[in-house]
Amino acid sequence: MRQRLLRQDFLGGLAVIAVAAFAYWLARKLPTGAAGGMGPGALPKGLAVVLGGLGCLLLLNSFNSQSLARWSARGPLCVLGALVLFGLAVRPLGLAVAGPLAIAAAAAASGESRWRETLVFGALMTLFCVALFKFALGLPIPLAPWLVGY
Amino acid sequence: VELLSNLALGFGTALSPANLFLGFVGCLVGTLIGVLPGVGPIATIAMLMPLTLKVDPTGALIMLAGIYYGAQYGGSTTAILVNMPGEVTAVVTTLDGYQMARQGRAGVALGVAALGSFFAGCVATLVIAALAAPLARIALLFGPAEYFGLMVFGLGLAVVLARGSVLKALIMVTLGLLLSTVGTDLETGQERLTLGIAELADGVDFAVLAMGVFGIAEILRNLENPESRNVAIAQLGRLLPTREELRRCFGPVARATGIGAVLGILPGNGAVLGPFASYALEKKLSKQPEGFGKGAIEGVAAPESANNAGAQTSFIPLLTLGLPPNAVMALMVGAMTIHGLIPGPQVMTKHPQLFWGMIASMWIGNLLLLVINLPLIGLWVRLLRVPYRIMFTTILLFCAIGIYSINNNPYDVYFTAFFGLAGYLFIKLGLEPAPMLLGFVLGRLMEEKLRQALALSEGSLMTFVERPFAAALLVLAAVVMVVAVLPAVSRSRQKAFQE
Repeated sequence: MRQRLLRQDFLGGLAVIAVAAFAYWLARKLPTGAAGGMGPGALPKGLAVVLGGLGCLLLLNSFNSQSLARWSARGPLCVLGALVLFGLAVRPLGLAVAGPLAIAAAAAASGESRWRETLVFGALMTLFCVALFKFALGLPIPLAPWLVGY
Repeated sequence: VELLSNLALGFGTALSPANLFLGFVGCLVGTLIGVLPGVGPIATIAMLMPLTLKVDPTGALIMLAGIYYGAQYGGSTTAILVNMPGEVTAVVTTLDGYQMARQGRAGVALGVAALGSFFAGCVATLVIAALAAPLARIALLFGPAEYFGLMVFGLGLAVVLARGSVLKALIMVTLGLLLSTVGTDLETGQERLTLGIAELADGVDFAVLAMGVFGIAEILRNLENPESRNVAIAQLGRLLPTREELRRCFGPVARATGIGAVLGILPGNGAVLGPFASYALEKKLSKQPEGFGKGAIEGVAAPESANNAGAQTSFIPLLTLGLPPNAVMALMVGAMTIHGLIPGPQVMTKHPQLFWGMIASMWIGNLLLLVINLPLIGLWVRLLRVPYRIMFTTILLFCAIGIYSINNNPYDVYFTAFFGLAGYLFIKLGLEPAPMLLGFVLGRLMEEKLRQALALSEGSLMTFVERPFAAALLVLAAVVMVVAVLPAVSRSRQKAFQE
């Protein structure tokens, strides 16, 4: 049983069915309408049903699929965390802070990173990005509102 | 004659110093980012889109097209030198290209790739210029029912042409369609599937989705495989192929250009198939098929030419019908919309300068690539020696800045992280994201046309049967799908992708 549970398509099928069910649940209150005046709910619901059906097919055919490859949490956690940190920091603190922050957080994803290298490199990269995006291209990305006011 | 005067107008526009400069910069930075391992054209364009925000529409599109070609060529460079394809179409190039590089013939591989691409680009530019006007005229006759049929056909093709199982591709297309319904309903203004998040009221941004499932997920995947990058070059060797090598490549390049150009026009991302098909064909036609996979120069020249031809002719459905056939073209739609242009047959008549200027810039872009890349290959090689642990943080920062700058909205960065996670799961579950992107791209337009068609026919589904062209397209879509699941065909389809 455990073997079967770890198969790619078994989990894939379950995930697809879950997404379909969730979408249908979200769309439950939208009017479906008739063919001539299709309501806003017609397509989301219809597609969710189709998707659920396809997910069932995938689940039923999962016996011969590959078993799942190794997972790791560190990479996704650090990289996605870096993006979220960047998003949180960019408006209030500006690129000058968000840049090094994102690079430092991302560097934690790789076991090969060295701290000193990362810090120096993060600072240099941020300078480069500021020069390129802020000054050369004039994009309205905040630089350091707490320090220089923009 | 009309063709010539149109092309003259185009070259006049594209050769203006400002546009030439933009095209040059586009090719250069496109190559620069595209060379980074694991960054394909889709991620590159999404990342560099903000560069074009402040330029006039014509210049912006010329620059974006340059970025696209640059990214393509940069991807081939990485495929040949370090065996890391940035996207599916470059996979074939790694087979013989990397072997050539290991034998000390990296320079020739890169040179022949550039020359083959240039030849393919020249032909494809002519094909576009010749086909665009007649196709756009046909497109003006299309009603909503025909558009709907065409899009269904395109999605059917996309399912068939995707790698891996048909069922999984179908799942991904449906998922993409479902994602496209997120946001405010066009007719009633009701919010759909937004979870109450105000930032989702306009729907999911395509650049965000593409950057997540292609750019970010690719970083995550590369991080899992410990550094095995081996810049395979003690020396580059000479760049220009010998006369003998050119003679060997001419046939393959010409055939591959034809294959790539035809497949590129298809509405369902047919261009993906070009490199695979031309590689398989050349292997079959070759007198020494055993040399393929061991550094045969034809094995680099053919897929590279097919790739470039397809990359270019895939502009045809976008420029004439307003239907993006793949993710890159969908990003182009996004860029056009930012500049207030609605892609479709009317672009040619309303903005002839922009239209023909872009076509002319394709040819110029190919020439620029040749000029830029042959001397700069040494620089790209040095760039590829930078360890990935440093490189990926930079890639990530560029992604974040690029995505933020498109709408100046931090939420886009969060959504990108979300779709990056989704893309990582897709990789783990063996689900190919390309069909999902196409489903997403066409989804909104499909719903709009479907509802229009049904409103016109007062709810009768017969409209799809009575209108001959719409019916033919829908039947064609069904046939394609049925054929794909026939046991004999599905077996040979698997074989085609394994090669």
